[in-house]
Amino acid sequence: MGLESKLPNGILLTNLEKFVNYGRSTSMWPATFGLACCAIEMMAAGGPRHDLARFGMEVFRASPRQADLMIVAGRLSNKMAPVLRRIYDQMSDPKWVISMGVCATSGGMFNNYALVQGVDHVVPVDMYVPGCPPRPEMLMDGILKLHAKVRGEEFADKTARS
Amino acid sequence: MSVSHEPTAEPGNELWVDGADWETVTDAIEDDTLTVNMGPQHPSTHGVLRLVLELDGETVLKVTPIVGYLHTGIEKNAEYRTWVQGSTFVTRMDYVAPLFNEWVYCMGVERLLDIEVPERAQAVRVIMSEFNRISSHLVWLATGGMELGATTVMTNGFGAREHILDLFESQSGLRMNHAYFRPGGLAQDVTDDFVERCESLLEYLPKKIQELEDLLTKNAIFQDRFIGIGVLTAEDALGFGVTGPLLRAAGVPHDLRKSQPYSGYEQYEFDVPTETAGDSYARYLVRVAEMYESLRIIRQALDTLPGGDVMVADKKIRWPSQQALGPDGIGNDPDYIRHIMGESMESLINHFKLVTQGFTVPAGQVYTAVESPRGELGCALTSNGTNKPYRVHVRDPSFVGLQAVDHQSRGHGISDVIVVVASLDPIMGGVDR
Amino acid sequence: MSDNTPLSGRVGTDVPAPGHGTDGESLTIEQLREQLTGRFGDLDHDVHRGELTAFVAPEQLLDVLAFCRDELSCELLSDLSAVHWPAGDHVIERQVSTTGWPEYRVSRDQGVIEVSYIVRSVRRNHVLRVSVATPDDAASLPSATSLYPTANFHEREVYDLFGVEFTGHPNLIRILMPDDWLGHPQRKDYPLGGVDVEYVGDKFIPPPHERNLREVVE
Repeated sequence: MGLESKLPNGILLTNLEKFVNYGRSTSMWPATFGLACCAIEMMAAGGPRHDLARFGMEVFRASPRQADLMIVAGRLSNKMAPVLRRIYDQMSDPKWVISMGVCATSGGMFNNYALVQGVDHVVPVDMYVPGCPPRPEMLMDGILKLHAKVRGEEFADKTARS
Repeated sequence: MSVSHEPTAEPGNELWVDGADWETVTDAIEDDTLTVNMGPQHPSTHGVLRLVLELDGETVLKVTPIVGYLHTGIEKNAEYRTWVQGSTFVTRMDYVAPLFNEWVYCMGVERLLDIEVPERAQAVRVIMSEFNRISSHLVWLATGGMELGATTVMTNGFGAREHILDLFESQSGLRMNHAYFRPGGLAQDVTDDFVERCESLLEYLPKKIQELEDLLTKNAIFQDRFIGIGVLTAEDALGFGVTGPLLRAAGVPHDLRKSQPYSGYEQYEFDVPTETAGDSYARYLVRVAEMYESLRIIRQALDTLPGGDVMVADKKIRWPSQQALGPDGIGNDPDYIRHIMGESMESLINHFKLVTQGFTVPAGQVYTAVESPRGELGCALTSNGTNKPYRVHVRDPSFVGLQAVDHQSRGHGISDVIVVVASLDPIMGGVDR
Repeated sequence: MSDNTPLSGRVGTDVPAPGHGTDGESLTIEQLREQLTGRFGDLDHDVHRGELTAFVAPEQLLDVLAFCRDELSCELLSDLSAVHWPAGDHVIERQVSTTGWPEYRVSRDQGVIEVSYIVRSVRRNHVLRVSVATPDDAASLPSATSLYPTANFHEREVYDLFGVEFTGHPNLIRILMPDDWLGHPQRKDYPLGGVDVEYVGDKFIPPPHERNLREVVE
């Protein structure tokens, strides 16, 4: 966002930042990156009982170019790691990453040759949601905390990324 | 209405075509096939499956499935854990029907140990697994419908499944990946309201399954997309090693619950739904009929639920502590703690050894198989006489079934490949392990 | 299936019952053993926990599998898996105090990779295991894909994880590990891997199963 990088930080921009952040947090569209068991719980979180659409996240975009949140749900194997990075790079700014489940956060119970021990080795993570798998309510708690974090962001946080 | 340049297939040449003379162009480029990559990140490949399609226009010539994007090394990791801990690992392979993985693994361990699981545990295993079969078929219906664009099926399927997950949560503590089946029986006995919960589910589920059937079975769009797609004859299915609903849809009434019964299945009366067409629609019909048959089995198992213990009585194998509800929640029974701390040194040592090292299993090799929602789920266990498995190998039906995708999709369109993969119902956790 | 009656919508008929087949009689373990030894002479076999295992040499493997498929009607290759028994001295610790079993040592001069083929007859309702051993430093077996197409992925998996070369396989490349991976992970001389979990103020001690391997890997 070229305009943002030209504007100075300061009190004058608070209302604009608040407005923009409000827009970003209440209509964050997740990209489908379900890998394993956590993907089923993520789908259940989008299901009718724990309804994720209440928080503006009904639409799971298939294309990363149209999404701004990537929920890495499940265990990331070494073979899949370059694909994850590529999808992350294809998302356009501003973007956030939630690592859902212990396998994505830290390798989980599988401390072995096959898994990347935490997706933060590959992509920068904004929110870690532990659990094996985390209940849909836990995922929603993580998402809401991320929304709160987004609302507190300043423009500089997002423009500094390359 | 003429071609401005002579059409050639050399790269860099421009072809100016007005439409009516397409045949002259295609003659020149008829050897060109298009290779398209689908996945591994793709909304409708059921997880991280990568398909490389060779296309002639929109017709599929060859499909190469590339797997391994979810390989977790579960089998090797289980060699470094005790036999009881293996249940927790194996359950995460086919994560939509986790109880079946646990079941086949525990059956293998029990066969190596040469012990008999108490009847109450067998009946509860049957009930929980048949509910799991229904929830797995509901996930299949929901995701299959979503891939076709029928999003109502998705929401209804997942909504119905939530009620089954409530039951699982009340009994095992977890909605998914419950390590509930342990070698020798169950982790703990069912709660007092188990029968009522099952009864209410048995009333609720037939209506929901009927709703999903009403949405799909006679739906013209659904029939157009499913009938005649992905035909697999019985001989081809057996050659490819495909079992389960695909084999039954091809006309072979092979069901391990009937032919090699386990865990008390011989006492229950149920049918094996079979179709002849062998296409995706037939598989849909078989799976829906299987859901109703599961309800029948649960009804019978619930009516004849025996009393007794849920864990084998042998002190060398049985998990030593007894759980009891105390003032601060569930924990070790205080009488039991008093016994091992004050009264019996052997019990304390036994408890300690069993919890830290685990029991030992005599050396040998077994292969056990159960009928999972996807087909024959087998477990080849090798023990070298210690407290850790020497080799755990799980034969997953999705892994074997992916080989048949190429054969079934030839000559169809790209969107039919989605239907073929959906009707196979692969779960990548089981494929890659 | 030689049964010619139409099957459409058929529910529950002709379903195999335990101990019986739908099309041909089910063979007991004794009968299976007799048929195998009748055809192949003195075949090494074992019955453990109600399962028959026939031990064959790599040269006989395809003949035995063809016999199972054609004469014993085992149309389905249920499973093809491998176990690595490495060479050298190994102490088998069997917890003397709780089991009463003695501790013993196992010593093998030649490490082997034992590959098991579980063949099942769907219409006659019996199952048996064919087991073949190949030396682990030059593991090679004939491919069963010509007899059972389902062996394709299974053999690729055994090649990927154990290093057994199947001659005659149409496409023997890695299936589960990345294409450029080095080593065969499920062999016993390959470490489990992973990261060391360290606690503050702790001294790092490698787990027992890797005390010999850390030097090799690093």
